[in-house]
Amino acid sequence: MVTVFRYTLRRFRGQILGWGIALALLGLLLVSMYDTIAAQREQLQNMLELYPPELTAFFGDFSSFAAPEGFMSVEFFSYMPLILGIFGVLMGSGLLVSDEESGTLDLIMAHPVSRTALFLGRLLAFVTATVAILAIAWLGLTVPMTWSSMDLGWGRVWLPLLSLLAEVLVFSAVSLLLSMLLPSRRMAAMTGGVVLVASFFITGLANINENLETAARLSPLTYYQTQDAFGGLNGTWLAGLLAAAVVLAALAWWCFQRRDIRVGGEGGWRLPLT
Amino acid sequence: MSEEVALMARGLTKSYGRVRALRGVDLEVRRGEIFGYLGPNGAGKTTTIRCLLDLIRPDGGTVRVLGIDPQADPVTVRARIGYLPGELQVDPNMTVGGALRYFNSLRGNQADWSFVRQLAARLDLGLEPMVRNLSHGNKQKVGVVQALMHRPELLLLDEPTLGLDPLMQREVLRLITEAKAGGATVFFSSHIMSEVEAVAERVAIIRRGVVVEVAEPSSLIGRAMRRAAVRFRQPVDIGPLANVPGVTVLSQDDGTGVLLQVEGEMDGLIKALAAFPVSDFETERPSLEEIFLAYYEDDQKEG
Repeated sequence: MVTVFRYTLRRFRGQILGWGIALALLGLLLVSMYDTIAAQREQLQNMLELYPPELTAFFGDFSSFAAPEGFMSVEFFSYMPLILGIFGVLMGSGLLVSDEESGTLDLIMAHPVSRTALFLGRLLAFVTATVAILAIAWLGLTVPMTWSSMDLGWGRVWLPLLSLLAEVLVFSAVSLLLSMLLPSRRMAAMTGGVVLVASFFITGLANINENLETAARLSPLTYYQTQDAFGGLNGTWLAGLLAAAVVLAALAWWCFQRRDIRVGGEGGWRLPLT
Repeated sequence: MSEEVALMARGLTKSYGRVRALRGVDLEVRRGEIFGYLGPNGAGKTTTIRCLLDLIRPDGGTVRVLGIDPQADPVTVRARIGYLPGELQVDPNMTVGGALRYFNSLRGNQADWSFVRQLAARLDLGLEPMVRNLSHGNKQKVGVVQALMHRPELLLLDEPTLGLDPLMQREVLRLITEAKAGGATVFFSSHIMSEVEAVAERVAIIRRGVVVEVAEPSSLIGRAMRRAAVRFRQPVDIGPLANVPGVTVLSQDDGTGVLLQVEGEMDGLIKALAAFPVSDFETERPSLEEIFLAYYEDDQKEG
């Protein structure tokens, strides 16, 4: 499993650097911008309050935009599950199936590596890569705070990032499970993407339409914490999201144990449950 | 299962949707032998090998590899096997050496690296190039090296010489023979008869997912039909020849020459010819390829 983990993590190098540096630069830009717009913050706050509720529903609480927590929540954390969720969906759907479709999994599986070891090695490498991306993003947010008037505290910035990590893990686990059930990685990524976007809209629209509240309870993004997280995470929500990710990953493992490994290319519609 | 049996399959079946790839394959490969598995594309050769490795799960039947059920303990089975897939794909973003080190690492660094270098040198394969820059033949060499490098007890080779030039084909066959000399069992599929004939001690012919024949190549050839052209010093009555069991007259010229088809051994014909004034006698030895094709001609007739 260690070999599989090391090899997979090495393959994630580009993703870690690409996503990590992009998020860190965005953090740097936002923290710097917070000081630049300090004088106009009150006016911006007034302007945002004039926005229609249908628009603001997706970006959280605009009433505290002038505060560092509110500013970071609206400008960074509100849409980050969608952005990093795409990373999770793409990586989750391809974690095993992309190698199967390219034909390289056939030879790897002919070596003395159990399906469980291969599955866990790759999954742990993915989780490590996601944590590494968020760690680089955290540096991008906290290092500029040393010279900025934004003082959120190094430790507190981790709290919404932890909630974000749990969200990414849920959506990647959904896609991983879909990749075990659907005929191709393409189809799994597409379906996983639909689940992600649907979750984003249902959670956002439930803020203005109470008829959607029941549906929103099933949406993982309902339990995503941004501004509130700076004051302390809701442990039950975080544990619930992580538990959902573990259950979905376990189901994917169960399917992987039972399915045939293809020589290459995309598969058919038969469910790998026999 | 006897200690002497390296590989055993009984009533192995496997379907892909409506396509029945294996319809009850029975096989037994003895330890230390080179066993050829013959059949055209789609006959079920690759499916059989992938069942042996637990890459796919058979619908029915029993499989034992080195005495172990591969579904029950795939890791132990694979640790003792060297496998070359028919459609070899290696991560294109690795160097040849990097890919081989990775495979070796998956095997707990079982291979002696000097042996890896030796194998690569014999196949004229550099370790530095990126896999994505390799030709099909050179990729196949990577596959051959990774299958042999840990000196496995059992080699499962799916079309081992595919895409190689004739010199390299010969070198790979030499490596297979050397592996056998070192005590390994070799099970290899092919549709190139000449290479099977050159190295295999026994062959199985698979047709439409069923093994229809298992024999030594020489025995298959001996049992096959062959042609005999006989020339006589003077015109003769060939009636007694036509009555020899297994002999059919194909053509006859002015009474001094005849073309015969002989099924089975030649003994009866030669004894009958002793009574004739024979000036020349010529037989054509059938190749394994002709025998193999005969199985498939029968199949087409049945179809």
